[in-house]
Amino acid sequence: MARSWATMEDFEAFLDDGGLVEADDPMPDAYRQAVFAFIEMHANSELMGGLTERDWIPKTPGLRHKMAVLAKTQDEIGHGHLLYMVAADLGVKTRVEMLEDLFAGRSRFHNVFHYRAVTWGDQVAIAFLVDAAALISQQAVFKNCSYGPYKRILRRIIAEEGFHMRLGEDRMLRIAEGTDRQRLMFQESLNRWFWPALQLFGPDSESDDVLLRWHIKSERNEVLRDRWVQRFVPMLQSYGFTIPAPDMRWDAVTHRWDVGPIDWEPLKRTLAQGGPDSSRRIREAAGSWSRTAWVRAALSADLSDNGVADNCAGNGSTSTGGS
Amino acid sequence: MRVYEVFVKKDGRNEFRHVGALEAATDELALVLAREAYLRRAEGDRLWVVRRDHVVAAPGDFVDPNADKPHRHHDGAAVAARRMAARQSPG
Repeated sequence: MARSWATMEDFEAFLDDGGLVEADDPMPDAYRQAVFAFIEMHANSELMGGLTERDWIPKTPGLRHKMAVLAKTQDEIGHGHLLYMVAADLGVKTRVEMLEDLFAGRSRFHNVFHYRAVTWGDQVAIAFLVDAAALISQQAVFKNCSYGPYKRILRRIIAEEGFHMRLGEDRMLRIAEGTDRQRLMFQESLNRWFWPALQLFGPDSESDDVLLRWHIKSERNEVLRDRWVQRFVPMLQSYGFTIPAPDMRWDAVTHRWDVGPIDWEPLKRTLAQGGPDSSRRIREAAGSWSRTAWVRAALSADLSDNGVADNCAGNGSTSTGGS
Repeated sequence: MRVYEVFVKKDGRNEFRHVGALEAATDELALVLAREAYLRRAEGDRLWVVRRDHVVAAPGDFVDPNADKPHRHHDGAAVAARRMAARQSPG
């Protein structure tokens, strides 16, 4: 269907009516930039999250969990690549430009990946609390996202993040049923990760947030954050852990937990690449990229080698079979 | 690097579906990357990758004329009414 929008009002009316924008639509540039920036940050965060996960492959206790961590690492890196393709099709930056910006510290990724995971308990807290926070955010985007290619790719990402969260809950329960020392380890991890996970949702949404107006996001940050609090505070307490929020109180009227005032300074520092582990994380990621340069160079050489690669792919491997 | 579109089909029933895209240097690597990016959990048992520059895409308004061809449909209501009328009128 050929379509174009003469004015921003027409475009916004289309979005308000539940319209889905496709990559080749003549969308307003402001919308293109906003949806691109959102997807680029999501892609960066998946990739940086995957690298964190990778760090724990050798240290994960037990073969079953080690295999699960391998699978999760591949999922997160894979999500990054799916999202980089969706973002690249918006024509703002190429996939390689996005990667180079990330590794040079010129673009952002989620606050939680600016902290160091010190113990196995931290990995469990991340898998449970951070993946849950990411899942709640992504579900809210998926529900009503106006950019079609992003919405479609989110369906598969959300399904896989669900596996990760369940894995996190499984591990958290094992620790909750474990020794005093294990429980103490997880309590310390909770103390470190509760606030960064909560801050992942960001400060309360501005009233003129274009991400909401253009139906890129469908719910306000504070609504999503509250959903996470109401779900995880009672759950963690029921397993005997303490929420590291001294001002938290139960509101007997609304029947909701109120975590008290939130200090947004740590979040701001991470957005300026000034988190406790930002520089090491970016340096490590950049190192992975530069160490694999020879692979990319070899592939490019292969491509220019007058069809050799095309021949080797032609030996029946592209057969589509009957259908 | 070339851009490839990825299509996946699940068992005997469904059509091939477009699932996304990827960048790869060769057809063979495109298949490997497609399997690892889109088919990690048996999402399909058949896989096509198609170079994006080989896709012949219709211009935006190409299919529009066929959006307004009511004579190519029949909702059955008129037939049902006639059938009913025929049944009620004495033989």
